[in-house]
Amino acid sequence: MHSTLATAHPETLLAPLWAEVLDVQPETPGIATLTVRLEDASARACYRFRPGQFNMLSLPGIGEAAISVSSDPDEPERIRHTVRAVGNVSRALMRLQPGDRVGLRGPFGTPWPLDHCRGQDLLIVAGGIGLAPLRPVIYHVLHHRDDFGKVIVLYGARTPKDLLYTAEYDTWRAHDIRILLTVDRADPDWTGTVGVVPMLFYRLRPDPKRTVVFSCGPEIMMRFVVHESMARRIPPERMYLSLERNMKCGQGLCGHCQFGPFFICRDGPVFRFDALAPFFNVEDL
Amino acid sequence: MTEQNLTLGATVALSKPHLNDLLQSLRAHGYQTHGPQVRDGALIYGPITTLDDLPQGYISHQDAGRYRLEHTGHPYYFALTPGPDTWKRYLFPRRRALFHFQHHQGTWETAPPHDPPPRYALLGVRPCELAAIQIQDQVFLRADFTDPYYRGVRENLFIIAVNCLRPGDTCFCASLETGPEAREGYDLLLTELDDVFLVSVGSEIGRQHLQPLPWEPASAFHLNQARRQLDAARQRMGRTLPDPQHLPETLLANLEHPHWDDIAQRCLSCGNCTQVCPTCFCWDVQDEITLAGDRVTRFRVWDSCLSPQLSYLAGGNARPSIRARYRQWLTHKFASWERQFGTLGCVGCGRCITWCPAGIDITVELATLRTQALHAGGV
Amino acid sequence: MASPPSASPSAVEQALQTIPWFQRLQPSHFASLAQIATLRDAQANEVLFREGDPEDYLYILLTGRVALEINVPGRGRTRLMTAEPLDVIGWSSVTPVVRRRTATAVAVLPSSLIALDAPALLQRCEENPSLGYVVMRRLANVVAQRLLVTRLQLLDMYAHPSKEGCDD
Repeated sequence: MHSTLATAHPETLLAPLWAEVLDVQPETPGIATLTVRLEDASARACYRFRPGQFNMLSLPGIGEAAISVSSDPDEPERIRHTVRAVGNVSRALMRLQPGDRVGLRGPFGTPWPLDHCRGQDLLIVAGGIGLAPLRPVIYHVLHHRDDFGKVIVLYGARTPKDLLYTAEYDTWRAHDIRILLTVDRADPDWTGTVGVVPMLFYRLRPDPKRTVVFSCGPEIMMRFVVHESMARRIPPERMYLSLERNMKCGQGLCGHCQFGPFFICRDGPVFRFDALAPFFNVEDL
Repeated sequence: MTEQNLTLGATVALSKPHLNDLLQSLRAHGYQTHGPQVRDGALIYGPITTLDDLPQGYISHQDAGRYRLEHTGHPYYFALTPGPDTWKRYLFPRRRALFHFQHHQGTWETAPPHDPPPRYALLGVRPCELAAIQIQDQVFLRADFTDPYYRGVRENLFIIAVNCLRPGDTCFCASLETGPEAREGYDLLLTELDDVFLVSVGSEIGRQHLQPLPWEPASAFHLNQARRQLDAARQRMGRTLPDPQHLPETLLANLEHPHWDDIAQRCLSCGNCTQVCPTCFCWDVQDEITLAGDRVTRFRVWDSCLSPQLSYLAGGNARPSIRARYRQWLTHKFASWERQFGTLGCVGCGRCITWCPAGIDITVELATLRTQALHAGGV
Repeated sequence: MASPPSASPSAVEQALQTIPWFQRLQPSHFASLAQIATLRDAQANEVLFREGDPEDYLYILLTGRVALEINVPGRGRTRLMTAEPLDVIGWSSVTPVVRRRTATAVAVLPSSLIALDAPALLQRCEENPSLGYVVMRRLANVVAQRLLVTRLQLLDMYAHPSKEGCDD
């Protein structure tokens, strides 16, 4: 699929465009949200992303990394990326200051299939930083609440301090989005659920004929999300997962992100589960 | 010299020394002429000027993990099957500057690389190698994403292919129908007989370069000789790979087969196979910064799925074991590739067999997998 | 330990009827269990039972939230997991192996529970194997689910040991 940016600016297939850092907002320990704006006016005007897509962010001399877009698709000029410090590039991204320049290529990847979910119940299941590529879905729901039936977010993290975007939950609840939270380990002030995300399914009665599951998080978590969904008769065609692999080009050219026959950057990162099913439980694929 | 006009698809005879005229004509038109030559005991590709640069008189002895050249003094120029070098190095260089970051007035700007893609004329491209180039065309020249350097080289590439009359000990192109005869995709195609080259015209630009040379129409004798030798070559492959069309299904249905453990005991994960393979295309991106810190070049470099770094994933590794990485390589080549690009990724050149230090032979491994899977009642 | 208040059978039976696996019991099994069931309320921060207590009741949470904690010397009381409505608390009271509570149960939110007399439950299971099978099968499911949750917690799947000097 064509990135909207590449169509208008073919030279961006390999070389990045420049974006100005507007803000670096610490979120939780080791995670921050980077807000950028493309410098070139015409690029800024034609950049559009769909929920679930990612950009390749570039720092000269350090490298490039794939980061999910976590902002509102209706505000494409302020592009937010929630970054977790795991390597050289992500650590450097988190040390940027407003006014710094960062290279940007994108958007890439397949989006969450919101167009196919009109009138459906949405079950958004996330773990840790997996909520980042799902937040654009929630923004879409906020703007188009009547397009969907029940919307439920199941979200968990390691500890209460690691829960992302907590300041926004009340806004989401105000738009009739139910949020069930859990942590693996509690702290003394936590009065919420302690346990793992897949167990939150026991508090639900999803209608398998109307429910679509969108999930992103550690692969083990997603494996059990699939398990719990199927135990409730939700068919594989109604489950979508967002996968992650080492990405270098973001365009299906460099071979790094292969998972079975799929290029995660091009055939994914969002996959319908029936396509993944033959490969999902193969060890070290 | 003949008054006749060449047509596309025509086959003519050219006395061997006149091939040098062709090379000279190509150089006069701005091509860099490259071809096979012997260096450091192996057949590699490099700049050539005349037929004298070619490995006349050499044969190779190859087996799993073995390669040795022998000079017997025979008169043929193109009797050597490929060595460790591939033509992919020309279209997809081992290391290539994608662009530069230039530090300027306190900030970075991007600057494109300066060198335009060269015009190459490649002499002696074997049918398997031609098939490999066509396979890589599907990888690098896609409707949605295209590598500008590959396209630049490819559009100007002049290919003089050569039919393979003496298949090597590890060759199995016949099993994959990628040889020993080239079908299409060349500008000119040579068949080396005792006294002449038969030259077939494959493109308009090939026709234009051949037209002024002193060719004769090919005689029935020559054509028959070529046909007989090609048919014989097809029967004399060093290896075979039975039922390649079933391999995608077999491999994808047997991803956890115990035979992968067997191979993993022997594989060193050295990556030689990916280096010598003419279709492997994984690459990495590396930034290099000058000492003064004012210029960064972002390089694209060859990578290998046998390398643990390739599957590194934020604090862990998606393929931590040799078993997983070897399986990835072979399954990509013979199963996933078909899903991704519509053909198998292998052309049967046998390089990975010859150049594997552990002597792993993919024709044996694939046959074993398939046989065991079928015995177990599977696919 | 709070004393279980007595309640009218119909209130207990009504509460039991809200629990799906009770709804599926044969009437005789339901009646047998209802006889040994009482209703119990707990305020926030109220302790239901402590580590080391004798095992007297098997609880089913109706509303609220109850946390299970273990005291780790030097670290204090560590919360392992929480029970949500319809979860079973204190299942080990019905197995023959352990005789003392292995964790402390404390209400996190104001909660209401069903309390089943554990020794009486065991006796009825012994006397009536078909009831015993149904109860043990249910408890096997509870234990299996707990084990899965515990294993996933153990895997610490959100932790990313990041190495210095590596690429992303």
